[in-house]
Amino acid sequence: MRAIVTGAARGLGAAIAARLARDGADLVLLDVSADVAATAERLAAVGLVTDVSDENACAAAVDRAVRAIGGVDVLVNNAGIGGPDTDVAGTSPAEFRRVLDVNLTGTFLMCHAVATVMIGQGSGGAIVNMGSVLGQQGVARGAGYCASKAGVALLTHSLALELAPHGIRVNTIAPGNMATEMHWDELRSRAARSGTTLGEQVEMVKAAIPLGRHGTGSDIAGVVAWLVSPDAGYVTGQTIGVNGGIWLS
Amino acid sequence: MPGRMGSRRALITGGAGGIGLACARRLLAEGAEAVLLDRRADALSAAASVGAAPVACDIRDPGAVAAAVARAAELLNGPADVLVNSAGVYKIAPLLDLTPGEWDEVMAVNLRGTFLAGRAVATALIAAGRPGAIVNISSTAGLVADASEPSAHYNASKAGVLALTRQMAAEWAPYGIRANAVCPGVIDTPMLRMMDDPEAGAAYLRAGVPQQRLGSAEEVAAAVVFLASDDASYLTGAAVPVDGGVTAI
Repeated sequence: MRAIVTGAARGLGAAIAARLARDGADLVLLDVSADVAATAERLAAVGLVTDVSDENACAAAVDRAVRAIGGVDVLVNNAGIGGPDTDVAGTSPAEFRRVLDVNLTGTFLMCHAVATVMIGQGSGGAIVNMGSVLGQQGVARGAGYCASKAGVALLTHSLALELAPHGIRVNTIAPGNMATEMHWDELRSRAARSGTTLGEQVEMVKAAIPLGRHGTGSDIAGVVAWLVSPDAGYVTGQTIGVNGGIWLS
Repeated sequence: MPGRMGSRRALITGGAGGIGLACARRLLAEGAEAVLLDRRADALSAAASVGAAPVACDIRDPGAVAAAVARAAELLNGPADVLVNSAGVYKIAPLLDLTPGEWDEVMAVNLRGTFLAGRAVATALIAAGRPGAIVNISSTAGLVADASEPSAHYNASKAGVLALTRQMAAEWAPYGIRANAVCPGVIDTPMLRMMDDPEAGAAYLRAGVPQQRLGSAEEVAAAVVFLASDDASYLTGAAVPVDGGVTAI
């Protein structure tokens, strides 16, 4: 298995990369942060500093990846940013566009470059896009992030239909509340706004999760490992919620 | 094959059926001990040749289910901690012709049976203070309607299984019991009716299934075992279609 993972320097992306490495994949890791080099070295992978919102950077990274590992069978679009904790009146158009650029357009740009390679290879493939529970239901003060992640889920639907004749499966994973820096940042912001502590915010979130805990990188990595394997050979176009059972309206 | 099911005790209802038997094979291959339940005694003893213990059981009957779950715990040297609810019947009948008796029969097996087995297994697990995983076989028919093969009672029963799955997840999460559903699409099993007319069936596969083929019972079993495994540690209450992209259309 030859795989590209974006947003792989830390957090969920690094956990996904570690799992795919354990399962025997040849890996190219992309991240906007230079820290990707250290993560890649640890996993005997190739690391490339890449901003997925930049069309030329994506094309160049995929080109280098193909030369480094001989092709691409698996793409995991994990790169993403949180949105501003602001209401619609207080959100600048530039901030809104930035979230869409990275989370949605970045996912498209990587799919665009990699699908071209996969179709040319003629041996099928699997793409996993990272959505969110906040792409399945809205939340106040999260319009940009929610719209970007809902967009990812529908992008996945469309690409699954287009690419099925080429043997390429495309699915979305929709994580719930994960123990990541992005989520802690969100809770810190909420705590500051409501005059509570981070610890209180964490407990409030946990109380609403039936499994009673935040999700971890390995929780997500196990699902990625299944989706990119032949075990999920008849699964495409789906959004798999990995959220500890939190309610979806 | 990686043995994700080592030391797990599995109970599979409808264990002599196409999907049930495939689940049993995969669970055994990954290291589980398994007991098969079915009301068809002959088919059951043949199915047990895969290496599982057969227990005859009419899944509609609360007393029979309680006795079978108790017998399974004896055979497995402990309460089952993987339950696959695969017992099901499928009948075609336009709504205007559907009799109350036919409605009740399909509900009794597909929905009541899933409730009875789930409740009996969860009761034993909770009493023993042990975690577990329940996987209910629903259907894409529980998600979307199909006028060409009318089966309102089946579809309603499978939609009911999804609601039941979410409720199992919500009520039993505090005990460490996860509950998820798989929604198979058109799967190549003896229960499949779509290919009775091969020409119409082939036309449906071309137009209605993005992957343009039937799924296999093994592909459903792979999803079931994934959901029962620790790879799905943060999934509960989910409905996972295994349908070649049918529900992405």
